[in-house]
Amino acid sequence: MRFSHQTGPNGPQSCRLSVRHTAAAVAVATVLAGPPSSAEPVRIDPETGAATFEIQAHGVSLSLTQLLPDQVRAFYVARGFDLDDADVFAGACVYMTVLRNDTTPGTLDFRLSDWEVQHNEEVHPLPPLDDWLAQWTARGVPDSARLAFRWAQFPSEQSYAPGEWNQGMLATGLPPGSRFDLIARWMIADQTYEGRLDDVRCTD
Amino acid sequence: MFVAPIDRIRAGLSILPALLLCVGTVGSVAAADLPPLSHRLTVIEEPAPAPPLRLEDIDGVEHDLADLKGRLVLVNFWATWCPPCRREMPSMERLYRQFKERGLTVLAVDVGEDMDTVFAFTGQLDPAPTFPLLLDTNSQAAQDWGVKGLPTSFVVDPEGRVIIRAVGGTELDDAAVVEQVVPYLPKP
Repeated sequence: MRFSHQTGPNGPQSCRLSVRHTAAAVAVATVLAGPPSSAEPVRIDPETGAATFEIQAHGVSLSLTQLLPDQVRAFYVARGFDLDDADVFAGACVYMTVLRNDTTPGTLDFRLSDWEVQHNEEVHPLPPLDDWLAQWTARGVPDSARLAFRWAQFPSEQSYAPGEWNQGMLATGLPPGSRFDLIARWMIADQTYEGRLDDVRCTD
Repeated sequence: MFVAPIDRIRAGLSILPALLLCVGTVGSVAAADLPPLSHRLTVIEEPAPAPPLRLEDIDGVEHDLADLKGRLVLVNFWATWCPPCRREMPSMERLYRQFKERGLTVLAVDVGEDMDTVFAFTGQLDPAPTFPLLLDTNSQAAQDWGVKGLPTSFVVDPEGRVIIRAVGGTELDDAAVVEQVVPYLPKP
């Protein structure tokens, strides 16, 4: 696990949290973690094995908890997707994502189009919501099911005053079994901040 | 379309869906693991007139925000599958019971679901909601109000202006929240 903090007068404020093995992560964090950011313990769901990856940086907290393909499939089939259609999204490494403005001095603004995943030394944008919706339209997914899909996703863009937050699904578009870094970016008072979750696992 | 003036703000098919999003209802996920509800509202510095809101509730009764001038109205956008929405709903009912006689109205707008789904859900709540549950089946109202994620709540003052916003699940009867709301209740 690596934890570092970089500050520059004009560049992005960056906080990096790398998690490779849970036990090692906790042990090393004890030694290296320090202000202004600290790593939350990684949680493992005892029933599903799904891990939660968390970071708190610059008054903002971000967490990813994997939603296993069976869970994603069941959710959308229950809301009107055919199994084949639900399978498409279930296979895209989906995470329950929580972003919260805990204590920033001003309003936080973000756009998911500014976020990236780094996988196999390549950087990719996150699949846009509009692309998913267009795909469901092309596949004949019913309107009500597409509506459920749209509102269940983590917002494509949002503004948070201190205390505000959202929880929603975020698909990386990577195949199950992938390991990747998530690079999240947000703006506060015209300053760009960056939070990284490194070596996130997508269990298949 | 109404856009909240954020720059002016100061301050298995039964259990698997639950596992997916409704983590609060699943025993394997400890309460301590849930994202905490917020305990504050965001006051809008320069309030703007509220967008129109006229929808039917689950009993088929139409509600029009325009008819509620003179009352303080909490408009809450939610969905049954949304974990923070479910978690904040009991606190909204407690807030409503505490202040309805003093002029508070709550309109809970379900986004994108049908009457049967919402009706079945209300039986699971304690306390059960006694305020109207409106149906925004095509999510047009949510879009008109500039909602980007669920839950999102707005407080509309007796003059029909949006004065407070809350994005994300909020403990709506928390003392700090009540302290923010009470000054805007209609004067006796």
